[in-house]
Amino acid sequence: MTRFPLTEAQEGLFYAQLLDPANPVFNTGQYLDLAGELDVPALQRAVAQAGREAEALRLRVHSTGHQDLQDDLQIELQVVDCAGAADPEQLALTLIRADMATPVDPARDPLVRQRLYRLGAQRHLWAQQVHHLAIDGYGMVLLTARVAELYGRYLAGQDTGGRALAPLAGVLAEDAAYRASPDRVADAAWWRDYLHGMDDVTGMAPGRAVSSHSFIRTEAALPGDVRAALLDRAKAAGLGWPDVLTALTAAYCRRFTGDGELVVGVPHMSRMGSASARVPAMVMNVLPLRVTADELQPLDRYLAQVAENLAQIRGHGRFRSEQVRRDLGLIGGDRRLYGPLVNVQPYDRPPRMAGLKVGLRVTGTGPVDDIHFTFRGDGRTSLTIEVDANPALYGPDDVRAHGNRLAAFLAAALAAERLADVPTALPQEADAELAQFNRTAHPVPDVTLVQLLEDAFAVHGDAVALRFAGTAISYAELDRRTRALAAALQPRGVGPEAIVAVALPRSVELVVALVAVLRAGGAYLPLDLEHPAERIATILEGACPAVVLAGDDPHGLYGDRLLVPADWARAGEAQPCAATPGNAAYVIYTSGSTGAPKGVVVEHRSIVNRLLWMAEHYGFAATDRILLKTPATFDVSVWEFFLPLIRGATLVVAPPEAHRDPVALARLIRGEGITTLHFVPSMLAAFLAAPESAGLAIARVFTSGEELPAELRDRFHGRIRGELHNLYGPTEAAVDVSYWPASADDRSRPVPIGHPVWNTRLLVLDAAHRPVPLGVTGQLFIGGVQLARGYLGRPDLTAERFIADPFHPGERLYATGDLARRRGDGAIEFLGRADHQVKIRGLRIELGEIEAAIADSGLASAAVVLARGERLVAWLVPATGYDAETLRLALARRLPSYMVPAAFVPLAAMPVTANGKLDRRALPEPDFASEGGDAPATATERKLAELFAAVLGHEGPLAAGDDFFALGGHSLSAVDLLLRIREEWGHDPGLATLFEVADIRGLAARIDHAADADHGLGPLIVLARGAGNPLFLVHPAGGLSWGYRTLANCLQPKRDVYGLQAPALDPAVPAPESLERLAHDYAHRVDRAVPEGPVHLAGWSVGGVIAQGVAVALQDMGREVGLLALLDAYPADCWRAEPEPTEAQALRALLAIAGLDPEAYPQLTTREQVTAFLRDGDSPLGSLPAPVLDGVVRVVLDNNRLVRGHHHRRFAGTLTHIRAGLDHGDKPQLQPTSWGAYSGAVECLTVPFLHPQLTGPEASALIAPLLSERMALFTPVSA
Amino acid sequence: MMLPSFDAFRAQMAEMLELAPGDLSADAPLMDQGLDSMRAMNLAMQWEEEGVPLDFADLAEAQSLAELWALVEERQAS
Repeated sequence: MTRFPLTEAQEGLFYAQLLDPANPVFNTGQYLDLAGELDVPALQRAVAQAGREAEALRLRVHSTGHQDLQDDLQIELQVVDCAGAADPEQLALTLIRADMATPVDPARDPLVRQRLYRLGAQRHLWAQQVHHLAIDGYGMVLLTARVAELYGRYLAGQDTGGRALAPLAGVLAEDAAYRASPDRVADAAWWRDYLHGMDDVTGMAPGRAVSSHSFIRTEAALPGDVRAALLDRAKAAGLGWPDVLTALTAAYCRRFTGDGELVVGVPHMSRMGSASARVPAMVMNVLPLRVTADELQPLDRYLAQVAENLAQIRGHGRFRSEQVRRDLGLIGGDRRLYGPLVNVQPYDRPPRMAGLKVGLRVTGTGPVDDIHFTFRGDGRTSLTIEVDANPALYGPDDVRAHGNRLAAFLAAALAAERLADVPTALPQEADAELAQFNRTAHPVPDVTLVQLLEDAFAVHGDAVALRFAGTAISYAELDRRTRALAAALQPRGVGPEAIVAVALPRSVELVVALVAVLRAGGAYLPLDLEHPAERIATILEGACPAVVLAGDDPHGLYGDRLLVPADWARAGEAQPCAATPGNAAYVIYTSGSTGAPKGVVVEHRSIVNRLLWMAEHYGFAATDRILLKTPATFDVSVWEFFLPLIRGATLVVAPPEAHRDPVALARLIRGEGITTLHFVPSMLAAFLAAPESAGLAIARVFTSGEELPAELRDRFHGRIRGELHNLYGPTEAAVDVSYWPASADDRSRPVPIGHPVWNTRLLVLDAAHRPVPLGVTGQLFIGGVQLARGYLGRPDLTAERFIADPFHPGERLYATGDLARRRGDGAIEFLGRADHQVKIRGLRIELGEIEAAIADSGLASAAVVLARGERLVAWLVPATGYDAETLRLALARRLPSYMVPAAFVPLAAMPVTANGKLDRRALPEPDFASEGGDAPATATERKLAELFAAVLGHEGPLAAGDDFFALGGHSLSAVDLLLRIREEWGHDPGLATLFEVADIRGLAARIDHAADADHGLGPLIVLARGAGNPLFLVHPAGGLSWGYRTLANCLQPKRDVYGLQAPALDPAVPAPESLERLAHDYAHRVDRAVPEGPVHLAGWSVGGVIAQGVAVALQDMGREVGLLALLDAYPADCWRAEPEPTEAQALRALLAIAGLDPEAYPQLTTREQVTAFLRDGDSPLGSLPAPVLDGVVRVVLDNNRLVRGHHHRRFAGTLTHIRAGLDHGDKPQLQPTSWGAYSGAVECLTVPFLHPQLTGPEASALIAPLLSERMALFTPVSA
Repeated sequence: MMLPSFDAFRAQMAEMLELAPGDLSADAPLMDQGLDSMRAMNLAMQWEEEGVPLDFADLAEAQSLAELWALVEERQAS
């Protein structure tokens, strides 16, 4: 027995096997189908002899990383007779598969298995299975060829001879020599150089590429004419046909991985000029091949490039790719060196065996991380395509489709002059894209929006059309007022195709203005009041509005076109609307990449289709109340305005600014009984984070404007009862063109944008405008009645984006620039942008517009703007006069505030890649740096600095003067900050204050001031955030609930947890008259916070006693109580008999609340001593304002009176009691069963802790699951 | 069967390596002159067709054209 280390080639597999020893995928195998007269003893002899020659088959590989060669191991061909079976072939194949599916332990089991299955006298299957550590594909060919040769010789009566397999020693020596050679160092450098600048490698399907325990296989023969075309084309190009096949297959794969570079793995036999040329062993390597195809160049040039590339990488093919991967730091399944594998094995064909017809089937070639395309055969007589794929990434249908598509792709490419001319999709796939997924024809009356509005006005006269700030306007009044204003507009030139600009805040007048413009026959153009004058001027210049409906003319831009609401006629008869369905209804400006905003003109016919689809699809009725909260400049507002008004429903107009304030919104939704509203997903996230949104019931919530994350969908359903619908559409196609019900049982990830609306086509096309197959990323194109007319006054831009529909002559398609793919069910998934448009908080931004604005400022000679998370960052090369503040001001004059970058990074020069493109990855990260200065000084400032850092993801110290917005904060992160401030201090200063005072020092002062003013420490604090119905934890003796934070955060799944705190902490609040009264107040507070669903309650110590009272009070109110958990709390009766504690004893409780050991400070006996001690220490109690600390002391001291005076009433449900099992040895009267008198049932649980330890981390870890399990039994409000 | 002459044999190899036959050295390593596994594979298949007694492993092992030709002659003799 000889012992030696593993070769480099074995190491990669060895570690993979070590990590997953039960994985049988390391078995490689094949079988030969032998038809004819087989001399079984001769074959057995040949197998035995080849086994003696092939030393690697006799290896034993130990987990310590060395291997032994076993000299005495005999390799035998075992004969299994299946001839007697009903279906001998089936039986044999089943047995072969079973062997392949059995993991082999390379330290114990033989690495080879040779079996001969006898199917009958004239047919056998010879199956060979070898562990990958001992062999590779070429090794298997060598072994098989040697057995075939020996078989032939034995039949011919020759006992020896032929070309024996070579010993393993040569391979080992070569491995050792290469490891130590300068060649290896040079190869390492060559690979680093070759792969320099490589992008992150992706596969053809999303997911982590780590081999499963099996793979999916499809296999088909390439037709003869395709083989002939391959050989001809290769010959004509002067290339080897295997290289041509590799190049074309890589081109096929690249169709699935996007426009960038593709790196395929190319197996390399590594035997040229090597001692391993005649050794069956694991020698092969997989080489990364970079493929960047310009599909427009001549195909032959592409083929030659790839062949040249292949020759180069083969020249360095001895260097292990595992080592390349380590050198590049590509570790883990999602950081890869290559994607699909393309494996051409011309030598792999059945051996010739005397007197037999031989067929070859490969049953396994080792791990399949992603997908392997393998071609076997000599090309001249046969060529098969095998597709092996990882079942974790591909389904059987995907694999089959790849096999079929690749064959069609090869056939088409071999006849093509350019790759660009070769379609990816099969004809039937293209047909499905065009027809099956776009069957949306639906009759819609050919009328104007005015017609729909006037029909509704006629029917619903007395109904409330809109509500705003407490006023209600009936349909009849809206009819009258809009007719009167329309009458005033018409003489000013407003009629079909005339534009009226509207610059009004959200108000009744805004609604009246829009309807009146339409009734006058014109189109409305909303202007944003907050936009800078320069931008508004540009828009007015392009749109030439006949009239401007606005409150005033702050920039002096409107002139005599201005018509202020005070001057609007209240009565008057307009001429009937002369607009036809083909006239413009509105013009909405969006960001334009060329530097100026562009006006999208939408016609009546388009928006009528959109509105009627929505009204019918979701069953809107006159009883609906739809909230208008989207700014009119954002096209989502179009359906908010008009959907209610064409259905006789009520439009509830949110006050200006309410759309950014979750608390105000929740109040509005509850108060107004809103049935339908819209959120941009990021705003929905902020809304759901606010405690006020818990338990809301809203019939339908729509999201659009940016991606709806799956987590957000799930969070929505955990918190709000109602439907959630995800819509998608650009301004250029009448608001929305697709819909997806993001229901509670929707498990889609990502959440699709769904299916097309009526009379609308959605097509996923490639760069040549051909349909792509299912699951393949392409650009999304929109066709149908909802397409906008184009960009106002910009036929050039219109022609660029609205192209002729190649499939429907005479019609147009809008190129969205969005990347999308279609799922198997036809639903479309949005995958981001193809260009440099970004969305921040749902607002569409062309980065080019910002870059153009920077260029126009003259302050930079080059600039690039990118979105980093939720912030825009500009990198620029400064010109004379540049400083960040000057540029910021210049941009703010021209761009809306959300388009002004949050950071400017000056560079000496823009970094570029080798081919001269901007190297985005080389751009330094922006420094949202602290301005420096004094460190935060007070406790509030320090805490606030922490919150700033957490919300902004800021690292490094902050100064007291640092401004939240200058550090990169924006309005949504501001909402997040306010929520955290509220959690921390029990109240927040409000968004308006934050906009006014955004630096740490100033904001801290406001917080402290508020705390002083209202004595702080809110009666309801947030302890943890999550989903489901919240848990309320009732404060213990000190009146504070802070101590529950650990317990609250231990709950799994995460749940909203609130702490109830004693109002008497505020010295101005009188002490409660009784515990009964206190519990009653708490019950009402809980009811207000969570108006629906079961209420979960728990409390420790005195908190438990109060919790029982709260539960009783809630039941009195008709509320369902879910969990009622008492942590080591005992009825008041148990205490009445006890002697009154002294004040000193009560004060000790205060020390415990402060997190101190009460027994460690016997010297503290008076109230003054205790408070002074606390104030000097670093306990959180010490930092309380003096009156509040007094409040705590007062609450503590008042407990005895409250508890002893309390008489429990009976709670009808089950009371869960958790006893501190290590305590109360001296107080046998404290028994959980004494709650029996005051509850329907008592569930007694015990944990091994002392009473004071129950809210600590160790006890919480035990108690939290007990609470979670029980709360899970109650149906949450959303179900 | 008709085996090729050394000149014909050299011409085949030269064609595969895209060299003029005169530029192909009989004694220099073949890999230095452009022989890689795919070309070797193609040659091996071509020779198998023509009955030349060389296989891929011979090509992979051989250091030079002369060494390969020696193998042909040796096998031809046996």
